[in-house]
Amino acid sequence: MTIPTFTAARFWAISFTAGLLAVLLTGCDLMGISNEPDPNGPSLESVVQEPTREKIANVAVGVESGMRTDLNLYLTNVSMIGREVYRFSASEPRFTSELLGSGSAVLDNNTFYITRPWAERYRVIRNAEIMLEALDNAPDGLFTAEEIAGYRGFADTIIAYQLLLNANLVFENGIRVDVSAEEVGPVVPYTDALDAIAARLDQGAAQLDNAGADFAFPLSEGFDSFDAPATFREFNRALAARVAVYQGDYPQALTVLDETFLDDEAPLDQGVYHVFSTAPGDIVNPWFINPQQSGNLLAAHPSFVEDIARDSEGAIIDARVDKVVAREETFEQVGLRSEWGFFVYPSQVAPIPILRNGELLLIRAEASIQEDDFATAVADLNTVRAAAGLPAYDGPETGASDARGADAAVATAMGMVYWVACP
Amino acid sequence: MRCRPTSIVAIAGLCLAILLGATAPAHAQQTVSGVVTDASDGTTIPGVTVAVRGTQVGTLTDTEGRFEITLPVNRRTLLFSFVGYATQEVTVEEGQTQLDVALEQDVVGLDEVVVTGLASTVARENLANSIETIDAETLTGNTGAQSLDAALSGKVTGAQISSYTGAPGGGMSVKLRGVSTINGNSQPLYIVDGVVVNNSAIPSNVNAVTAAAAGGSRSNQDNPVNRIADLNPQDVQSIEILKGPSAAAIYGGRAANGVVLITTKRGAGGDTQVNFSQTVGVTQIRKALGMRQFTADTAEEAFGAEGRAQFLEAQDRGFIDYEDALFGENGLLSTTSLSIAGGNDRTRFFISGLLQDDEGIVARTGYEKRSARVNLDHALSDKLTLSGSANYVNARTRRGLTGNDNSGTTFGVALTATPNFIDLRPDESGTYPDHPFNASNPLQTRDLFTNQEVVNRTITSARIEYTPLTTTQQTLRIVGEAGADFFSLQSEALFPEFLQFERTSPEPGTSILGETTSLNTNVRLIGVHILSLPDREVSFTTQAGLTGVRADQVSSNFVARGLIPGQQNLDQSTSLSPSQVREKQNDRSFFVQEEVDYAGRLIATVGLRGDRSSLNGDVETFNLYPKASLAVNLHAFPFWSVDQVNQLKLRAAFGQTGNIAGFGTKFTSFEATSVGGVVGTLIGLRRGFADVEPERQSEIEGGIDLGLWDNRANLELTLYRKEITDQLLQREVPSSTGFRQETFNGGTLLNRGIEASLTLIPVETDRFSWQSTTNFWANDAEVTSLPVPAFRALGGGFGATLGEIRVEEGKSPTQIVGVDDRDGDGVSDGVFQLGDVAPDFQMTFSNELAYNNWRLSVLAHWKKGGDNLNLSELLFDLGQTSPDFDDDSNGNGVPDGVDRVNNVGVSAAQFVQDASYFRIREVALFYALPAAFLESFSSGLLTNARLGVSARNWLTITPYKSYDPEVNNFGTQPVSDGVEVTPFPQTKELFFHLRLGF
Repeated sequence: MTIPTFTAARFWAISFTAGLLAVLLTGCDLMGISNEPDPNGPSLESVVQEPTREKIANVAVGVESGMRTDLNLYLTNVSMIGREVYRFSASEPRFTSELLGSGSAVLDNNTFYITRPWAERYRVIRNAEIMLEALDNAPDGLFTAEEIAGYRGFADTIIAYQLLLNANLVFENGIRVDVSAEEVGPVVPYTDALDAIAARLDQGAAQLDNAGADFAFPLSEGFDSFDAPATFREFNRALAARVAVYQGDYPQALTVLDETFLDDEAPLDQGVYHVFSTAPGDIVNPWFINPQQSGNLLAAHPSFVEDIARDSEGAIIDARVDKVVAREETFEQVGLRSEWGFFVYPSQVAPIPILRNGELLLIRAEASIQEDDFATAVADLNTVRAAAGLPAYDGPETGASDARGADAAVATAMGMVYWVACP
Repeated sequence: MRCRPTSIVAIAGLCLAILLGATAPAHAQQTVSGVVTDASDGTTIPGVTVAVRGTQVGTLTDTEGRFEITLPVNRRTLLFSFVGYATQEVTVEEGQTQLDVALEQDVVGLDEVVVTGLASTVARENLANSIETIDAETLTGNTGAQSLDAALSGKVTGAQISSYTGAPGGGMSVKLRGVSTINGNSQPLYIVDGVVVNNSAIPSNVNAVTAAAAGGSRSNQDNPVNRIADLNPQDVQSIEILKGPSAAAIYGGRAANGVVLITTKRGAGGDTQVNFSQTVGVTQIRKALGMRQFTADTAEEAFGAEGRAQFLEAQDRGFIDYEDALFGENGLLSTTSLSIAGGNDRTRFFISGLLQDDEGIVARTGYEKRSARVNLDHALSDKLTLSGSANYVNARTRRGLTGNDNSGTTFGVALTATPNFIDLRPDESGTYPDHPFNASNPLQTRDLFTNQEVVNRTITSARIEYTPLTTTQQTLRIVGEAGADFFSLQSEALFPEFLQFERTSPEPGTSILGETTSLNTNVRLIGVHILSLPDREVSFTTQAGLTGVRADQVSSNFVARGLIPGQQNLDQSTSLSPSQVREKQNDRSFFVQEEVDYAGRLIATVGLRGDRSSLNGDVETFNLYPKASLAVNLHAFPFWSVDQVNQLKLRAAFGQTGNIAGFGTKFTSFEATSVGGVVGTLIGLRRGFADVEPERQSEIEGGIDLGLWDNRANLELTLYRKEITDQLLQREVPSSTGFRQETFNGGTLLNRGIEASLTLIPVETDRFSWQSTTNFWANDAEVTSLPVPAFRALGGGFGATLGEIRVEEGKSPTQIVGVDDRDGDGVSDGVFQLGDVAPDFQMTFSNELAYNNWRLSVLAHWKKGGDNLNLSELLFDLGQTSPDFDDDSNGNGVPDGVDRVNNVGVSAAQFVQDASYFRIREVALFYALPAAFLESFSSGLLTNARLGVSARNWLTITPYKSYDPEVNNFGTQPVSDGVEVTPFPQTKELFFHLRLGF
């Protein structure tokens, strides 16, 4: 008869269903999925929500490292428009057309030479903001108050510096200065941006005052002699002096300079650098191109050698002529011509300076001229001239309206590639 | 749609329990026995299913084809069915005890069964979907193919199956029913005997040298092989293709691009069968473009004074056809395969081995594959069977160096800079001269570099099937399955320091090593219950189950530069850049399905699948994918009286599937960076989308199947409408946030299409038969909603100046746009639509003629419309080496090559070229040695022997100017196809076959 069979059938059906139900209801592992973190890199959440000393130190290193990305494009922009170099690439006509304004070409706000450095600077700022947020979430006792102040001082200083580069990149178009939240703040005009940058630097300096003897994170050899709160503060103040000059606040610049590493006796190239290497994960100097290369090259603007100081026989006496080398093959394309290859960076691991003693001397010279303190200005200019093998300055001393004074101001404002790369 | 799965499974269970509670009438019994034979040759057939109609009573014939079955009272109709034979219905007379049956071979395939659930099948006659089934004979019976997916070409209605390279080892893009995603995973889900197999295309990272994707370390321009190519096509018994969500919904979140179900051969009871096959062939370039013929003047114009000097020298020496030197080899192809199948009524086995050794049309390229398989089935008892499969594959692929580059290093790009009057051949000491006009000497690169990948792969599966309950009215089966697909892939490329382009590098000598390991595992637990209610002629098939899939893939890549001369090892270098990517996916799913069959007249199915995946933002929620279908067999109703029409079926089906976001979409992560020897973390440019959900596809399909004159004519017509919503789109975010872009769900894409298939058997006599199948299909796609600005599709070309495939609202997703001069003033007037990659329609014509022992089969494929972006021509023009450079087709006195170069930036229309084709994909002629001859010749050892000659892609008619209309520089892409940049040229093949059966 069929009844036993049906009992068996029902038994099996019910057991099977019950088995499925049991599996699902008990949430047993068979159906569960764990929400695993990204195996390919630390997640944002893990750093912000579960900070450790090591994680935050890594983010600080990332801040320093990220400052270098696409720096070559920023340098290309300022030095092309400043008529210091020709950047030519057969496969990228916009370097010579848009940046030099050839024909009817104009600068384009949606092109890689603007958007890439712009984005990379804000990426560093985001990294620093993440660091600050993680610090806020750090459990008591993870850091000392001094260490936290050190991190904050470092973050404020770097954020201000990155904002400054973008402000100079787009100038009167303005930048966003309030970017700590997910929804970013409005675009503010250049002068407001400078005010915000100056305030951020001041805030950083105040933190560094209370940051003890050492940072809780490492800085590369590019920051040798500036890798402790007290010395890093000198770098912060040097940036503040630069910003004060941009603001036209010369008394402020001179005041701030007292707290920097400005030193008439020290080498002009003493200062803070970006360093490069071929180590895994590191990058090489992005603006190093073999000066003899063709097709894709960096050539010195011919005016650099034309205008350089010479003696009465026409021989070049300015030692900075070693920033260029004679090209074996003259560059002559798209209506441009140069016999000189750009040789500021002699190798792919040559460092790129951020701020040096030489620039501080020039800032003081410029500010002193504006304040009619010609003695200081001439002394500082002569320090720089002597280093290049030039005789002492013997021109007129007529103040801010004077062409030479203006030249010095321009030289500082443009960041002058050759200058910045002093010997 | 989302819900907790418990309620659904509970309801399903309840239904099951209620159904089981149905009462059944009492029976008296009558026993019948007999032998089943093949009607054509009288041999007995083991394994035939013998079932009592309207009940669950059934049995199988034994190794001698015998059966014995006990009939319930009032049940006298027996159904005899077996794969490849037409099902036969026989009524047993009162008191009859002996019944012998002869089965006719089934030509049209109506009686084959189709897998519609995860563990249930339905006869094709009762199917509510258009599901393509390809048997072994159709797949590999006619001619050779490099890979399984290549063998599918031209055989699937509704599919765009296109080869993207002619390189050994192949490479296929398979799109079923149009573009089904814009940024998501775009290839079908491949399942081999229940194992989800990995079909990823893993780049070899030669980009480190070619700089094809300048700046990107991992790119998709490395001409990779997609890994389904590892399977041995000879092992395949049949392939089922579920083309859209209405059929594939039961596979849920992985089935957005359709499902390819591959069943491998298994042993049958009876005498052990040994099959041996040897194929020898030759491969050649399908079409050579030719070289530009220079004069001293044109040589000077193109290459300066050096050009004239070299040309004059060459006049004495003779000109060199570098295209022929690079792509002109006749590659030898050899495939040897052996299979042994047999067993008894308890245990069956299938063992196979394959040796494949293919050369390419470029010297030092090739593809070698060794494969072994064991499939075992064992019945522990009537109720418990075990099956296991193990497959090992070892393949070595050498694909040369072709395609796009930015360094002048690939064979194709180098060829565009190579006029026929220079001499790049090595001197007596083996020293290669430098190429005067290019960064590399392609002959030197080809002869002295290495680029190969080796894969070792095992695919194993185990299945247990337990039937605790079999009565006259119902059966309950419980199926447990587990499978694993593991491979390790090693790719190595060596560019020795003495190559022309390495010598001028700051760090001469490059060695690239890639290591990938991939493990896919899956388990399934399924219960199937079938209940037949004979009184009401209704049967219910209920199934429910759980599945789990896990995928782990780790890829490591190393680029070592500045090699010590003669060395390859990574540590013999001055600098080493490593990179590593891990990807993990973990999915859990449940499903339930109910199928109701009313007397073969109405067949209705409803089902539901729920998927959770570790790739979703929310890993807890089950995303639900429903399906429903109805088939109405009008001919089976009593009122049907048209004898000529033996089948008339109306069918409709609805279903949904998903496409899970790519790995890592939900993460916001840091990248590693290093400065001053200290490692740091820098936030990534992509902001993660923590709430990411799968894309969702909904499809409605309707159709009609018509069988006339005892199935001598069959028409299958299907219309579908497939809509993809919640697509994974990317949008830019203000870069002052520190991020560049993020993913979000949005937008809608619509595909509508038609598929028609007509099978005719115009002649069928004992000596002569002719079978013909004509397929037609067309798909129309539109981006109906796109909440982001129009953008270039992934791998969609190189910008509007050169033409690009652009995804834009209101347009076909595969449209090609580019700059164009509309008013004829010689200046570009902006960006316009210039073409479309998608064809207007495709048709295939398959004909098989058999006369005595001869069999001729021809498969022709016509693709009408569909454009390619031919950028090879641009590179040849820029290099001033195009074969038609000096023609003047427009009679303006300016060479065409100059005209075309001058037109760059004015119009991209010249790159958009019609890629229609008519192609004889396969043609084969076989002769079977007469049985009598074999008997006397081999004293009965040989049971069959066939000789054949065949060809693949032997004839192609196309207006397309370059090597071949089937090409893509970017391999397999979700939307784009047909972008050509100096590829590895497509080939045609000729084969000779010997097939022996023992």
